[in-house]
Amino acid sequence: MIKLFTLFAFILVSIAGLKCSKQNAMAAAAPAGQGGSMARFTIAGNYLYTVDNEKLKVFSIADPANPILKKSIDAGFEIETIYPFKDKLFLGSTSVIHIFSIDDPENPQKLSTAISPTVMRRCDPVVAKDNVAFATLRTNGPCGGMESKLVAFDITDITAPVQRVSWPVSEPYGLGYADSVLYVCDRYQGLMIFNIKDPFDPGIINSIPGDWYFDVIPYYNTLICWVSDGVVLYDISNPAIPQFIAKIT
Amino acid sequence: MRTSLIVFLGTLTLVCCNRQIDRTGVNEVYVPVYAQLSDLEAISLQPPQSTVRAGKIYAYGSYIFQNELNSGIHIIDNSTFGNPKKVAFLKIAYSTELAVKGSYLYTNSANDLVVLDIHDPKHPVETTRIKGAFPLINQDYPPFTNVYFVCADPQKGIVVDWQLQQMSSLPSCRR
Repeated sequence: MIKLFTLFAFILVSIAGLKCSKQNAMAAAAPAGQGGSMARFTIAGNYLYTVDNEKLKVFSIADPANPILKKSIDAGFEIETIYPFKDKLFLGSTSVIHIFSIDDPENPQKLSTAISPTVMRRCDPVVAKDNVAFATLRTNGPCGGMESKLVAFDITDITAPVQRVSWPVSEPYGLGYADSVLYVCDRYQGLMIFNIKDPFDPGIINSIPGDWYFDVIPYYNTLICWVSDGVVLYDISNPAIPQFIAKIT
Repeated sequence: MRTSLIVFLGTLTLVCCNRQIDRTGVNEVYVPVYAQLSDLEAISLQPPQSTVRAGKIYAYGSYIFQNELNSGIHIIDNSTFGNPKKVAFLKIAYSTELAVKGSYLYTNSANDLVVLDIHDPKHPVETTRIKGAFPLINQDYPPFTNVYFVCADPQKGIVVDWQLQQMSSLPSCRR
């Protein structure tokens, strides 16, 4: 009986702790914001990086009210997205992924270009995690191409990315991850949830249909989703099992 | 052999361009959408609005920002778990991008980079505008190849979008 009571008390404390950490996480989040994988603006340190169709631009925001253009780099063609991970920037275009080092934040250096051998022309937002970069290759409409894929590049050697995985999807858009769970937005399959414990052997856990998903931001315990008519929030305390919180339209 | 190659290439061309070249019926044509310079200057804070053309998202502290395609940014207060609320709408003409740091919101108004001080989210103040720093929308042609489009006329203003429209006649510009 006492054991049972102790267990019960422990569970109560744990729940209270969880709630607290949720609020603390929000409070601690104040200094830094986070964008999605479809972004064209991203902030790393005291710099704002933007990508238009061909240029990667570096603005110093040491004085945040007055950005100063420091550099404009020819990055490639038809650039669509920018994603920061550690001291790297990943630029998605309609044909390839360009990887830049921002070791020297004012002077991004191109390290490599990741090319998918299976899909030639597509739109590909990209996210990176440790030694792997995930991208969705969407081939409808202006993006051209024949079939849409989720792919994973091995970036252990950042100067020579190699595609290791290709998973068929319907019409994918942005993507993001929390721990060992990858979320992929899809027009028809909704929010697709993949187990990426082994990133080069992803397995689908579940899909949440009902909305046309465009992008996600895993933000502490909340998954913020851009859907066609607004924002949907999920509690991802357990990343593999998103719990619906609210929809804002 | 050569003939069959030519036939094959010809077929490919027909297949690829069939959508655009239909001289007898309805054609898909890109048409420039113009902004007037005066539209670009007006940034204002408005009451919450319904989302019509949902755009990019950004998380900052307990706030969530969502772009309303080409018209501004919804500000959502997510400080109460389970009860997120739209608190205001930042009207910014032709805004599509966003990022936030240290109470400053970085966005675009067509091709301009714009910085807003949102320290007091109820009274955002434009601190900087760098004209033409974000030339996303090409002023001369749509971002696609193998398409017909209505030639842009700089006299009519800045091109802020290229819209696909059905037209019975073909315009003279092609890419």
